[in-house]
Amino acid sequence: MSAEDANPAATPTPCGDIQGDGRWMSMHERFVSDGKGKEPEVVFVGDSLIQLMHQFGIWRQLFSPLHSLNFGIGGDATQHVLWRLYNGELDNISPKVIVLWVGTNNHGHTSEEICGGIMAIVQVIKNKLPQAHTLVLGLLPRGKMPNPLRERNAMVNKLVQEALSSLPYASFLNVDPGFVLSDGSISHQDMYDYLHLTPKGYQAVCEPLHEHIKSLLEKPAEH
Amino acid sequence: MSGDENPAAVPKPVEDVQGDARWISQHTRFVQECKDAEPDVLFIGDSMIQLMQQYDIWRELFSPLHALNFGIGGDTTCNVLWRVQNGELENIRPKVVVLWVGTNNHEHTAEQVAGGVMAIAQFLATRLPKAKIIVLGLLPRGERPNPLREKNATVNSLLHSLLLQIPQAQFLDVSAELVHSDGTISIQHMFDFLHLTSSGYRVIAKPLNDLLLQILEETPEERRASLV
Repeated sequence: MSAEDANPAATPTPCGDIQGDGRWMSMHERFVSDGKGKEPEVVFVGDSLIQLMHQFGIWRQLFSPLHSLNFGIGGDATQHVLWRLYNGELDNISPKVIVLWVGTNNHGHTSEEICGGIMAIVQVIKNKLPQAHTLVLGLLPRGKMPNPLRERNAMVNKLVQEALSSLPYASFLNVDPGFVLSDGSISHQDMYDYLHLTPKGYQAVCEPLHEHIKSLLEKPAEH
Repeated sequence: MSGDENPAAVPKPVEDVQGDARWISQHTRFVQECKDAEPDVLFIGDSMIQLMQQYDIWRELFSPLHALNFGIGGDTTCNVLWRVQNGELENIRPKVVVLWVGTNNHEHTAEQVAGGVMAIAQFLATRLPKAKIIVLGLLPRGERPNPLREKNATVNSLLHSLLLQIPQAQFLDVSAELVHSDGTISIQHMFDFLHLTSSGYRVIAKPLNDLLLQILEETPEERRASLV
């Protein structure tokens, strides 16, 4: 019995169709078939913060030129992304870089469990795509004022950064440009609902991210 | 018939289960905006309204009309009803209110959802007797035909007749533009088969903008002179 079985955040779990329109599975199937037709250099995987990036000008401006695919699904927690990657989304492609951004939706899980979930995803990527580098993005602060979820996300980031520091095939990137102001607040100009980024918020996150990805793409494969 | 009989017409705030109080923060911000702004158009509803403000279309078509956006993702009719009854209409006299809500009412039947939308429309009509109300039809959702499409279509059909009872309200349904002849919805219009892309918003914005301009042209300016 492996440790993963005890961690719900690290147990591959599809999203059930509670609402009745099958959207989650439609998105997953689309991502699997995208893999068959395209040859991405970079694949972005995660939750709505990844998904929404695709909807704004920033995507075409910064990431399309790098030959990127976007496999984000709003609401996904680590166990959902884990299931998707186990079940076809990494098949038939050989990107150089995977950008992983997930964990903020893991409600009810501890920081340790969320870290475990993220590390399980890093492991499945390594197993399926041994030549790829996984870039794990730090979770952003959320909520207008200080609150327990900010603390949880900060702890997840600390744990993940430590866990990744010994791995040659993965690394951690803090993409928070300083969204929390001196009075502890987050502006709705950066996060329109104190969670999701505005186009301005994305600009601040994506410019350094883009530079970092380019430097990863320029490196020769090490392993 | 009292609101108590229809759960979709019972005003309810969203409880902070996640722990970061985002819903109440957004509501509080909207109440504050009412103190500072003099909007001619108020958009209120769920994420379909909220996301619109993040695309270029908002700056191009709706900001110039002096519009405010009070959309909150995930909201049901109960939540929007609570918000309009708890400060989001204070101190403002918009000429038009655009209402778009109902697709998130998962616990309710189509009849209940229509009743919930009507409760909001009736409240708006009473509180803002000089305003016109545009109620947007619920869009189809999901990649292929499914029960939620049928439910949303039933809500629309009920609203189409019920809204005749409110003379200052109009119903605008742009759903047809978004479903292909094979019954599928394009990912170019709805990036997750629910929320609209930039192109998707352009499809619905045109008829909405045309209707808004028409209403705003008809509304005389003399109200402003009568404000104390």
